[in-house]
Amino acid sequence: MIKDIVEGGWSLIAGMWVTIRRIYRPVVTVQYPRKYLEMSPAYRGHIEFAQFPETGSHNCVACGTCMRFCPTNVIKVQGEKTHTHSEKRASLYFIDFSHCSLCGLCVANCPTQTLKFSGEYDLAHYSRWDGVVDLIQRLEESA
Amino acid sequence: MANEFLEPITEQTFYLNMGPQHPSTHGVLRLFLKLDGEYIVEADPIIGYGHRGHEKMAESHLYEQFLPNTSRMDYLAGLILNHGYVAAVEKMVGIEVPPRAEYIRVICAELNRISSHLLWFGTYVMDLGGFTPFLYSFDDRENILDILDRVSGSRLTYSYCRFGGVARDVDDEFITATQQFVERLRSRWDDYHNLVTKNVIFIHRAKDVGVINRELAMRFGCTGPILRAAGVPYDVRKAEPYSVYSELDFEIPTGSKGDALDRYIVRLQEMEQSLRIIEQALERLPDGAIKAAVPHKVRPPRGDYYFAVESARGAVGFYIVSDGTSYPYRLKARVPSYGNLQVLTEVLPGTLVADTISILGSIDIVVPEVDR
Repeated sequence: MIKDIVEGGWSLIAGMWVTIRRIYRPVVTVQYPRKYLEMSPAYRGHIEFAQFPETGSHNCVACGTCMRFCPTNVIKVQGEKTHTHSEKRASLYFIDFSHCSLCGLCVANCPTQTLKFSGEYDLAHYSRWDGVVDLIQRLEESA
Repeated sequence: MANEFLEPITEQTFYLNMGPQHPSTHGVLRLFLKLDGEYIVEADPIIGYGHRGHEKMAESHLYEQFLPNTSRMDYLAGLILNHGYVAAVEKMVGIEVPPRAEYIRVICAELNRISSHLLWFGTYVMDLGGFTPFLYSFDDRENILDILDRVSGSRLTYSYCRFGGVARDVDDEFITATQQFVERLRSRWDDYHNLVTKNVIFIHRAKDVGVINRELAMRFGCTGPILRAAGVPYDVRKAEPYSVYSELDFEIPTGSKGDALDRYIVRLQEMEQSLRIIEQALERLPDGAIKAAVPHKVRPPRGDYYFAVESARGAVGFYIVSDGTSYPYRLKARVPSYGNLQVLTEVLPGTLVADTISILGSIDIVVPEVDR
């Protein structure tokens, strides 16, 4: 009986000692609104157009592969030709980010590699329409 | 069971709904308990609150499109379920995965297993009233999430495995970070043991509580740490080795009695074994491609296929029936938590309400995986 009490009491002290030592170690949490962490290079935000230095613009040919592969149908892309024999080019590219599951199938399957992930992570909105991103407009604004 | 509300209730017996909104049910699980004073007479887990119809969803999705669903079933070991599904489809189509991709998959899956066990460790001890270990284990888990975030771009729902390989190659920084993490976690065992394993309060709440013996575990189809704690050394990684597990040297920790303490110890030992696997896999990590050539449209031949992997909670199997089109005809996911949860109907009667928390916590269920 006394042995149990001593052993049990000692186990509590040993546990407490672990906690006490931790008090004098550096803080591991980052105080978020005051300090920001750097996002990893692989971080998957919503998709955006990559800018190619040769053309100074995106390279989307509106083939619709991303639209077909998207599990939740958040992508809407339309293209048009400037004249009969020219290549098709995206004139409209919208994503509804609020339904996106960030799987990256669109990026993985893009034949012209014009899609990439953005580093955006603070994506809370007041309205569901704020989740809709116009990628062409976004590219023009960033350029 | 719900009809039993109509039964006349004596003075001593009464019904208690534990959940669906209860902090220690880890999700929307409702335990319908018939109590005699402080003792449980009958227990019935009522599930389905988190049903999203993943299996039905698969039938209207392309094979590729179902990939993000897999990590949402078991959100704590999403990468292992990714691996299972991808490997099942690779088996159907007959894709040969490059060795580097296989090793990366194994390293990431084992990291994911450790992160799942660390989360379980923290929440289980928190259920039993110890708040501090939760913070320490989440600190360690955060390291794993950072490592996996660097390589997959996501912290929980990875979608990292792709048909024929993985989505992104690992770099030297990943390897050094993983090696540092292995050393760091090894240095933390002493703290964990002093804080929890040797703690007299913890031992009293876990020892001889919720005994799931060998027969019971096998009757209900329990797998994973529950089965191993009952003394059955069954692990899919050893029983039917997939990926590169047959080349790696590790042991299957087993318990003897099958009580909550055994399950706790088995999980801690499993983390140690996972560290061993990671170390060996990092040493042997070959160079080369990370993705094999895959047909643009995945159209498996007609037939039915099954592939099982060992997740953090037990055997996960994907049974897929193909009719030759690019959509699965039927997809059935065999998840471990379902069998592990049903055993509660046998274990809970005769125990105290306070022990219910301990038993439920030690079983480590993920409710979205049960409901699917």
